[in-house]
Amino acid sequence: MAEENYINLTIDGTQVKTKEGMTILEAAKSVGIDIPTLCFLKDINEVGDCRMCIVEVEGRKGFATSCIQKVEEGMIIHTHSPAVLEARRVILDLILSNHHKDCLTCSRSGNCELQNLAIKFNVQNIEYTGKQSEHTIDDLSPSIVRDFNKCILCRRCIATCKNVQKIGAIDCMNRGFDSCISTVNNQSLRDVNCTNCGQCIEACPTGALREKDNTDEVWKALKDEKKYVIVQTAPAVRVALGEEFRYANRYKCNRKNGNGS
Amino acid sequence: MPIGTNVTGKMVTALKKLGFNKVFDTNTGADLTIMEEGNEFIERLSENKNLPMITSCSPGWVKYIEMNYTENLKHLSSCKSPHEMYGAILKTYYAEKNNINPNSICVVSVMPCVAKKYEANREELSNQGMKDVDIVITTRELARMIKQGNIEFVELEDSSFDEPMGEATGAGAIFGTTGGVMEAALRTVSEKLTGNSLEKIEFETVRGEEGIKRATVTIGEKEIKAVVAHGLANAQKIMEEIKSGKADYQFVEIMACPGGCVMGGGQPIKSSKTRMTVDVRKKRADALYTIDEKSVIRKSHENGVIKKLYDEFLEKPGSHKAHELLHTHYIAKEKYNI
Ligand code: SF4
Ligand code: SF4
Repeated sequence: MAEENYINLTIDGTQVKTKEGMTILEAAKSVGIDIPTLCFLKDINEVGDCRMCIVEVEGRKGFATSCIQKVEEGMIIHTHSPAVLEARRVILDLILSNHHKDCLTCSRSGNCELQNLAIKFNVQNIEYTGKQSEHTIDDLSPSIVRDFNKCILCRRCIATCKNVQKIGAIDCMNRGFDSCISTVNNQSLRDVNCTNCGQCIEACPTGALREKDNTDEVWKALKDEKKYVIVQTAPAVRVALGEEFRYANRYKCNRKNGNGS
Repeated sequence: MPIGTNVTGKMVTALKKLGFNKVFDTNTGADLTIMEEGNEFIERLSENKNLPMITSCSPGWVKYIEMNYTENLKHLSSCKSPHEMYGAILKTYYAEKNNINPNSICVVSVMPCVAKKYEANREELSNQGMKDVDIVITTRELARMIKQGNIEFVELEDSSFDEPMGEATGAGAIFGTTGGVMEAALRTVSEKLTGNSLEKIEFETVRGEEGIKRATVTIGEKEIKAVVAHGLANAQKIMEEIKSGKADYQFVEIMACPGGCVMGGGQPIKSSKTRMTVDVRKKRADALYTIDEKSVIRKSHENGVIKKLYDEFLEKPGSHKAHELLHTHYIAKEKYNI
């Protein structure tokens, strides 16, 4: 077997030795440096569209898109320089200015990549206030709800549906401000070639795609004394359910340390 | 809690706390599916009819073939999926035995899947006007209900599924990963065909992440060629082989989601960051293989509940009654071109 080629570079002052062919994003990750991303989804959507992952490469004009740019010998990279941070903040502000910020009632609150970025950037006010697009929510499918008021046009869902599933039920329609992810003739997902697989939900960084929530019906049945309610659980549920819970609550309300939240 | 932690015991406790009258295991339904599907396969094999036979547990996959390969629907197994079979049994056999009015029974399925919501609404999946399954919620929705119910999940003690319908095998557990249905079926089909106990019950060739897995299995004097595909792009490749007459295999397992149910569209959502560094599929699948390994009974046909069910009610796999309750048919759907 041919020997693998290694590349030496510097990321945020740290000497890094990585395999040839790695992206800057991967190389940074390998030494524990986290570069924010939005449209990037490993193996599925690696297109460098949203530019959230930009970095500075010394001696080069403009920013490099770290999720697609490969490492090169001798590169000196700054992932969090003031210029990078400011540019990222502008990108984030533009996205947030056209996003329905109803996190309080969103199924992804606490597990949203956009919300996490807003926290990371300490967003306390949004610089741009522009036109907001208004889309009707599509909840006719028995499986999937689409709320494109929360969509950030990252296209991770499209890539999943088109390339992983080879269905192409959803695509980007229109251009510019009117761009939106939709179906043929803007029909409901119920009425097109969607298989209801839900892989697009797994790909979405926000609450724009989510499952049809039927928990109210379950609560209603549980409260109905005339009903004999039997529950059954599939094999895959038991090896994933735990991921939705954290151990942290055990240490809650530690008032002595002034950490009461 | 870490990805791939088996929380069966806590999950059952939480469901009991939420107030369900009974907490049962779909793995038992999976064992029943293997009995019916295994029998169907053996019949098709002996008549050399409608081969290859393709599994029908994944409702996204079923909808896909109904829309895209209408001329090949005869290859699909007529078996309902495990939770639908189980629902049908709960509203007949179980209701009768326990003197419960079947009309008052509400079956709730907790699934890693959003296509199951669509499946449960299919008209064919009912019996005498009663839906086999009334409500489907996903893993994520169950987590929300547990939080809403003010249950401190990580602190819960373990408990077991309710008797007498709770017993399930390791074969049922591996249904949740790509290759699992095939492996469970091969265990039962081999022993049924030869009448002998298998020396090694693991079929490693159908495990793992490869998008399309091909295996040749010797059963007695027969050689059976099996194919496992997951993710619909891979399913399409297999369907093109079948359509063009190039398929030289007899048994096919297809799951719509890449990785199978462990990576279903109703499972906890992992961020792009996590997906970059952690093999989520492998961690969850390994947990299922561990459940199988630790199970006392690892073959569907050795499940006591299932044996009793056939003795007392269904007679034998493929019987008239089994067909009425556990099998279904498929409907060619209009294909939409983009
Ligand atoms: S559910 Fe599956 S088929 Fe439907 S839009 Fe999403 S990825 Fe595509
Ligand atoms: S729906 Fe979600 S995944 Fe699709 S483009 Fe919008 S934000 Fe991205």
